[in-house]
Amino acid sequence: MNPRALAVWVAAVLLLSLGSEDPVCRVLTLGAAVVVLAVRRRHEVRLRPALLAVGAAAALTILFNFLLSHTGQNIVVALPGWLPALGGPLTVEGAVYGFDIALGLAACLVAGITLSLVVEPHQLVDSLPAALSHTGAAVGASLTLVPRLGHSFVAVREAQQMRGWRPRGLRSWTAVLVPSVLTTIEGSVLMAEAMEARAFGSGSRSALATSTWHPSDLLTASAAGGAIVAFVLALVLGQIPSWQPYPTLLLPALNWWPAACCLALFAPVLARG
Amino acid sequence: MAELARFEEFGYRYPEAADAALRAISFELAGGVTLIGGPSGSGKTTLLRSLNGLVPHFHGGQAWGRASVLGADLRTTSTRLLARAVSMVFQEPESQFVLATVRREVAFGPENLGLPPLEIAQRVDCGLETMGIPELAERRIATLSGGQRQRVALAAALAMRPRLLLLDEPTSQLDDSGADSLRLACQGLAAQGLAVVIAEHRPWRVDMPGCHQLELEQGSLASPQVRRSGPPALPARRGRATGAVAWELNDLAVGHAEPVGTGIDLAGREGEVVCLTGPNGSGKTTLLRTTAGLLRPLSGALFRRPGRCAYLPQEPGGILHQATLLDEVRQTIRWLQLDCQPGPILEEFELSSLADSDPRDLSTGQRQRAALAAVLVGRPEMVFLDEPTRGADPNSRALLLKVLDRLTAQGSAVLVATSDTQFAHQIGDRVMELAGGHLRESSEQAA
Repeated sequence: MNPRALAVWVAAVLLLSLGSEDPVCRVLTLGAAVVVLAVRRRHEVRLRPALLAVGAAAALTILFNFLLSHTGQNIVVALPGWLPALGGPLTVEGAVYGFDIALGLAACLVAGITLSLVVEPHQLVDSLPAALSHTGAAVGASLTLVPRLGHSFVAVREAQQMRGWRPRGLRSWTAVLVPSVLTTIEGSVLMAEAMEARAFGSGSRSALATSTWHPSDLLTASAAGGAIVAFVLALVLGQIPSWQPYPTLLLPALNWWPAACCLALFAPVLARG
Repeated sequence: MAELARFEEFGYRYPEAADAALRAISFELAGGVTLIGGPSGSGKTTLLRSLNGLVPHFHGGQAWGRASVLGADLRTTSTRLLARAVSMVFQEPESQFVLATVRREVAFGPENLGLPPLEIAQRVDCGLETMGIPELAERRIATLSGGQRQRVALAAALAMRPRLLLLDEPTSQLDDSGADSLRLACQGLAAQGLAVVIAEHRPWRVDMPGCHQLELEQGSLASPQVRRSGPPALPARRGRATGAVAWELNDLAVGHAEPVGTGIDLAGREGEVVCLTGPNGSGKTTLLRTTAGLLRPLSGALFRRPGRCAYLPQEPGGILHQATLLDEVRQTIRWLQLDCQPGPILEEFELSSLADSDPRDLSTGQRQRAALAAVLVGRPEMVFLDEPTRGADPNSRALLLKVLDRLTAQGSAVLVATSDTQFAHQIGDRVMELAGGHLRESSEQAA
């Protein structure tokens, strides 16, 4: 997939999930992001860890809003007022609004993850303008440190277990976490040294391959670009419904204009191949 | 032949180090191959780093004396400029990779030179061809074995078409065919009047006619030792009497998703050393890890008797995290509740003088010994070692042999995965070769 086409699609997901508080729009956007990630990811990529992290972030968002908003008519429980920040009524509206925020956050996170799990870091670097090629290469290199930390963690845990280490409470994990982080930091220093020794930054860079556009990429970019234009136009014309569960909890209204924009985000799935 | 580098009374001290790593080094480098010898921690890596300016420009510290490389003053010319004509392969090639796939990794250097895409592609293909790995071009680096990664790093350096090529322990994980490819590549570069400088603990693997020699000892140049045509003889292991079966594999298939070895039948007995050899990427590490219980077999039966297993991973530096080497060994004793002291094992690996050092400040060879000491303390019933001679000088190999000798005499069953076939034949009661997914007894004899 062409990284520039994917970047336009990611921009559309971010705009549609953050540009309105309409839960219908956010549900559709999140759905599109998850389906595109599942269908277009690189074959060796495992989705479970990324989706678990997104799920955890969403759950925390709902919890925080439920505990901290104290607004709404449908009270679930009232905590004593002397409890700092938490004291006061905890409402259904607070939880529902937290859910709405979590939908937007999850859509943004999944879009970002899609960018890194669908195309290779070097494809992103190749797609950048020449002026940004050095920065891009450095960012591309730094992206490889994340999976390295994961590999290092697994390798160190195995080796320490064979030396008799057993997980006994949070403190015991330092025997695995500290060497994993130290190894990754040491690895990043060695990588910087190796980049220097391979003439990185010694002059203008070229690229082995430039990114190419296929009809499917054109369809993705056109659909996402069209969705951005239509959504901005709808915002300007007041066609995006405003929704908040406060003070009275109501179901969101279905507006076809923003919904159609969201449906356009499924284009990368249809354009597959 | 034109002079490529000249060092005059050059010295260097790393930041916060008490002693100088290099002291008053003087030499001239013309074309051809130069081998740098010397024990672990003698300054070989630092000397290589100084030839491309990483010392002092990247590492900081204090440098004195005069040094010029390709006519440029080392103290005023940055590494990235020197790197356009000087390539280096590091001792731990897995740490130098910048991108995720082999082709793009090899292309990274030529891309930095701003070459046209066609020429980059040509250089990438040529580098991979020279190192005998064109079939790995589209593979992800994370899926490669240690030896395959070393070949990729070498291909990446060759793709830069350097005038001066610096190689730090380039054959430490290479099988014999990889070492031959490297020797031929170096011969080709030397024939073109270019210079190759190699720090190598097994110089006979890359030795060739007309080779120059430098010997380092505690940071100073020493008289070159007599060149060896093969590994130094190790003292014979005592005993070799074997006892009951400690572990056994029956019709085992091993691998991650896809099997790399099938129909494997093998057993290890008390007091026996079994060595696994085979080409790079043949699955030695996978089989070792499966036998040690770290990977589930894909099919077949695996028996391992109850008892302590000591395991040395292929990248052992990662397990060292205590403030001192002594604490590192004490940690194993504490975790396993062993009834022993750290002193004897440190002594066995000649590490007593480094007991209070931070393990991460040690040289690669010293770290390897430190990790061995940390995992082998006490009397493990079963021992699983992955590339234990990586970065090891002849003395370290002899020390390891002595420790294994003691352990087997005490009844330990030892399994070693190594691409160092000579070492395997020197220490192994049985040497098994894993190739093409099948295991068979190696017919090769020790050199």
